[in-house]
Amino acid sequence: MVARAVLPEICTAFLALLVLTVDLAWLTTWSESARKTLLCVVCTLALGIAWILLDRNWEPVAIPTLGWMASPGVTCLKGLIAALTLGSLWLSRESSFTKHVGEYFALTLLAAVGAMILCSTQHLILAFTGLELLSLSLYVLTAFHKDRALSAEAGLKYFLFGGVSAATMLYGFSLLHGATGELLLPKVAMKLAAGPVEPIAVMGVLFASAGFAFKISAAPFHLWTPDAYQGATPGSAAFIASVSKLASFALLAQVTWVGWNPAGVAGNASLGSAKPGWIAFFAFAATASIVIGNLAALAQSGFRRFIAYSGVAHAGYMLVGLIANTQDAAYSVLYYAVTYAIGSLGLIAMSAILENRRGSDAISGFAGWMRESRFLAVCLMVFLLSQAGIPPLAGFFAKFYVFSAALKSHGAPHGVFWLVAASLVASCVALYYYLRIVRAAFEARDLAEAGQAPGMPALWITRAWIGACALLLVWWGCFPDKLLSLLRGS
Amino acid sequence: MTFYLALSVLLFCVGLAGVLARRHAIMALIGIELMLNAANINFIAFWRHSSAADDLSGMFWMIFSVAIAAAEAAVGLALVILVFRHRRSVRLDELESLKG
Repeated sequence: MVARAVLPEICTAFLALLVLTVDLAWLTTWSESARKTLLCVVCTLALGIAWILLDRNWEPVAIPTLGWMASPGVTCLKGLIAALTLGSLWLSRESSFTKHVGEYFALTLLAAVGAMILCSTQHLILAFTGLELLSLSLYVLTAFHKDRALSAEAGLKYFLFGGVSAATMLYGFSLLHGATGELLLPKVAMKLAAGPVEPIAVMGVLFASAGFAFKISAAPFHLWTPDAYQGATPGSAAFIASVSKLASFALLAQVTWVGWNPAGVAGNASLGSAKPGWIAFFAFAATASIVIGNLAALAQSGFRRFIAYSGVAHAGYMLVGLIANTQDAAYSVLYYAVTYAIGSLGLIAMSAILENRRGSDAISGFAGWMRESRFLAVCLMVFLLSQAGIPPLAGFFAKFYVFSAALKSHGAPHGVFWLVAASLVASCVALYYYLRIVRAAFEARDLAEAGQAPGMPALWITRAWIGACALLLVWWGCFPDKLLSLLRGS
Repeated sequence: MTFYLALSVLLFCVGLAGVLARRHAIMALIGIELMLNAANINFIAFWRHSSAADDLSGMFWMIFSVAIAAAEAAVGLALVILVFRHRRSVRLDELESLKG
């Protein structure tokens, strides 16, 4: 039983070692694309078989001393993480950037192990270790394109911001640990609820929140995001945008709902009864993210930076759900994070194709997209409209669940009404810049008229991943209950 | 106890100021290490002065975070070397080809 609870992590970690060994032992003389193809196939088969062997009809397993939770819902989340990881690995075949293919694959898989740990753990040490396993692998992956100065610069900037935020988070955890003497989130919550909350515990929670705000790229801790997205190779950027964000939100929802629930550290963000605590902090971060993310996204001309800034805005919307601080809200945030992760994997894949065709990721390059490939243009529209929150796509229900959870919270008749109202206004602004890209792609112009030369066709496997992502967004938009019940594990 | 906490706050602030003010990547790296060590001092101080002396969780925290800090320094120095190879300089204010 206990072994089953950590099976996904163990399989992925072994796969990382296997891939590294196979590549170093036999494949060093092969060409880069052949190595990538073979390793992609190996990873897909191994993770697929592991998923089939993992019998999911079991009772939730918990290892209480380690704070380890493995319910069917959590296992589904890990399956999604594995799938998104595979997607970003296949996407790495779109460009040629390294001789160290085995290391690239091993690091991506190890980062995925870190992400999976974050979904299961309620133990502060494990949570921090998992976060660092994820982050340290991502710094290297961002800088993996060794011949490109931009890639190295993005990696160093990501590392410096990440290092400061990790240290801040650790400092916060140390204060929280000092105030409560506990490591497990449920016990931390019990200690915090038992007596009057010491100021040192509130400080600890605020410091740790600042560290989390970096991981989910919420403003004002978002400065690394556009640089990392732009400098990284498509595969790494897709991983940062999807898996890293999804796992960080899974952990944050766990920490805030299970560990920081007591009113003493939670605080309040309702107008008139505001109190310091993580809710007030994240209300501030959400407002800043929504304003800064949307305004900056309006001004971008490069597609990758555009995805990054709109991602900052999405982090803001997800935080609105998180500060509702109810069980329903936690699931609605997970729903949002999953649909957002799938959409961003698709968008980054689009940006890779755009770069290969036009030589740069300028948004103007989408002109004449429809004439070149009807399939890609339609998928692009699905991704953008889902991010904008148009029904019947999954992004609409994500926003709907999150905002309705926020309105129902806090006992007050309208909860954090002001924040929801601001988010809705910002969503309307966002619609403008999403539709601008859709219009550019669908305008019936010839390539020559748009000043574009026809470029390389995309790999069929990339098109297949894009199609799968778009289908999932439509499917889970038409039947939102299906994803929600998967996440609840019922 | 108050002394240790004051020391760790001081160390944390010195580290943070170092990262924010210094324009040199290695200096920023040292600042990050100082911040991590401030947290380590907290762990040990809280463990030493807690009522439950057989509870070793503070020690475990410290051991884990030292190991993680070592890994972080390794990755950081590797990235600094990578940037140095491209630019022959690791001054942070010169890293501005990514903007927008």
